[in-house]
Amino acid sequence: MKLSRIGIALLLLFLIGAAIFAGFLVKQEQKYKTGDFVSKGYHLVSLIALMPLQEFTGDQKDYFFRTLTEYTTTEGFHYLLIHDPAGRDLISLIPGGFEALIPTDVRAAALFTSGLIHQKFKVSGSSDIYYEFAKPIFRGGKKAGVVRLGMRFPAISIFSLERLSLLAIMVFFIFGGLIFGYYGVFLALSPLRNLSRDLKEAFADLPIDSPAQKSGKIVPIIENIERTITHMGDKIRRVEMDNVDLISKLGVTTFEKAQIVNIIDSINFGIVITDLQDHLVHVNDYMLKLLNRKRADLIDRSVEEMIADEDLNAFVAQPERGIKAGTRRYIEKTFPEVAPNEIYRVTLAYLVGLDNAPSGKMIFFQNMTAETYAQKTQQEFIAHVAHELQTPLTNIKLYSEMLMQGEVKDIETQKEFYNVINEQTIRLTTLIRNLLNLSKMEMGSLVLNRGLVKTDWFVEDCLMSIEGTAIEKNIAIERNLPDSFPTLLADKELLKTAIINILSNAVKYTPRGGRITFSISEGDGMVLFDIIDNGYGIAEKDLSRIFEKFFRSEEDRIVQQSGSGLGLAITADIVHLHGGEIHVTSTVGKGSHFTIRIPREEYHLGKS
Amino acid sequence: MERAKRTVLVIDDEAHIRRIVELKMKNAGYEVVTANNGEEGYRIILGDTPDVVVTDINMPKMDGKTLCEKTDGLKAERSFLTVIITARILPDEQAWVSTMRDTVFMEKPFSPARLLDLIDQYFGLSR
Repeated sequence: MKLSRIGIALLLLFLIGAAIFAGFLVKQEQKYKTGDFVSKGYHLVSLIALMPLQEFTGDQKDYFFRTLTEYTTTEGFHYLLIHDPAGRDLISLIPGGFEALIPTDVRAAALFTSGLIHQKFKVSGSSDIYYEFAKPIFRGGKKAGVVRLGMRFPAISIFSLERLSLLAIMVFFIFGGLIFGYYGVFLALSPLRNLSRDLKEAFADLPIDSPAQKSGKIVPIIENIERTITHMGDKIRRVEMDNVDLISKLGVTTFEKAQIVNIIDSINFGIVITDLQDHLVHVNDYMLKLLNRKRADLIDRSVEEMIADEDLNAFVAQPERGIKAGTRRYIEKTFPEVAPNEIYRVTLAYLVGLDNAPSGKMIFFQNMTAETYAQKTQQEFIAHVAHELQTPLTNIKLYSEMLMQGEVKDIETQKEFYNVINEQTIRLTTLIRNLLNLSKMEMGSLVLNRGLVKTDWFVEDCLMSIEGTAIEKNIAIERNLPDSFPTLLADKELLKTAIINILSNAVKYTPRGGRITFSISEGDGMVLFDIIDNGYGIAEKDLSRIFEKFFRSEEDRIVQQSGSGLGLAITADIVHLHGGEIHVTSTVGKGSHFTIRIPREEYHLGKS
Repeated sequence: MERAKRTVLVIDDEAHIRRIVELKMKNAGYEVVTANNGEEGYRIILGDTPDVVVTDINMPKMDGKTLCEKTDGLKAERSFLTVIITARILPDEQAWVSTMRDTVFMEKPFSPARLLDLIDQYFGLSR
């Protein structure tokens, strides 16, 4: 619709232009022809005025007029009037009735002219333009008459053949120019036809019309380009704003990353972060120390290049398949090349990015040596205690069942059986007491119940508990006691437990017929208890460990004897709780010498 | 009595167990031989194969497991019952016991009367 209006306007403009141009051409021709026409008229009237027409014979006159009309009709010859000086017609060659149409002022001006003149006039009822050329005729210096030559100015038509040809040529060139111009522009702009489509493809959110792609019309394309430019301008502003936002976010992220790296580096276990190709991205300080490597030497290397261990590599290389992101698995390993005596728990965690896609792995190396040792020790402790409890319990059950079922008829044997049950009960009780004491010591809740300990009675109490077994094994007990027994401020029951533990060991590990010496002495403000036996002795390698919990020598003669491995550990603890010391010297095959030193304290009544 | 013709070998490093098992078996009419450790027990088995072996697991010189494995082959020629007395039996030990010929186990603390019943049943005797 819009296009057709523009077309009509253009066409009108073209027509007006053509008309103006044609008018201009006609005007120009008129001007040129008028000059020529007037010049011809002058020449012709001057020539006629020179002719002695009054003297021509009838034939000459006819010939002259015929020739004049023949050759000048095409030039517009219309009439010829020759007047005498009085204004009477001498020769009148004029279409009938035309003379009356000539304006009277034209006739008057012609009759009275003294020179060559021309006048332009129109006659009523016609649009033709006439020119009258007049010149006086002189004979013998006198005015002999006037020649009036009337000529019709040839009509100049826009639609004359030559003009139409010219117009046709013009139109041809104009249209040709337009067509060539249009197609030239069209071809030149043809890449623009795809511009909209290309823009639409590149920026889906662009507010442009899709139909413009196919029409190939310039206007919608330009409109689309305009919209695109506006849109791109908006977009650029938005991007600039986003950019500022991103820069500030990047700053925060960089700071946060640095903080995270600091945290990872300060953690007390190894952390290794890898990318999707299992290449190292970060190795924390703990791990670097463990590996004794520099970070720069490890980054971008594979896990295998960090620690060459098949199990570790297989573990790390496992895909996430079947494992939910964020879950962990672990293996426990010793890496002989890195730390031969340490056990590490290697845990794998899968890292995911913001889009929940895997982004790498985090490998933790946690030193589990102490935990593993503690766990093992605990398991051994439980097994050991269970065995130690079960042995006396089994014996009690065996002996009591035999008695109950009347398997023992002899009274003496029955007594002996009861004794065994009693002994085993004591063994069980001692074991349980030792365990309780140990537990209390470990928890720090063992409180010394200090009181006055008179060593004379105390010694007898201790010895009494081992005398039965000693007599059975024919072991002699020597007492090496002072005249004046020192008095101690101590927890009597605990101290007794400590000393009985040493004495029991002496009896246990001294062969039949052996000898045990028990002595008390004083020195340097300490009370000394010395227990010396001539038993199996303690191997040198075991000496430093005999006070460890659950330690038992692997020597055959020791293994054969029942024991919890707790006695000496508890003894040492009790002695230390009293502020004392315990010391041992021993030679295999010759015997052992234990010395317990307890600080002597004066006991004053009323003092707690 | 048929028991009198049968010999029970008791192998244990714990004197109390040896004594009670010996007494219980003797009172029931079995003949009893004792050994302090696995090695001594193994020698006795090789010398004069008993009808029943009652053995501990943890013993010096040769443990009960080794003893069982070493004597298992002998049972192809002359069968005898092995009773393992043990503190506790783990699942894999239980599986191991099932691979040994004529071998059963009893957990501590055990009843001498139950042990006698078990041996009597093996011989098809009942009280």
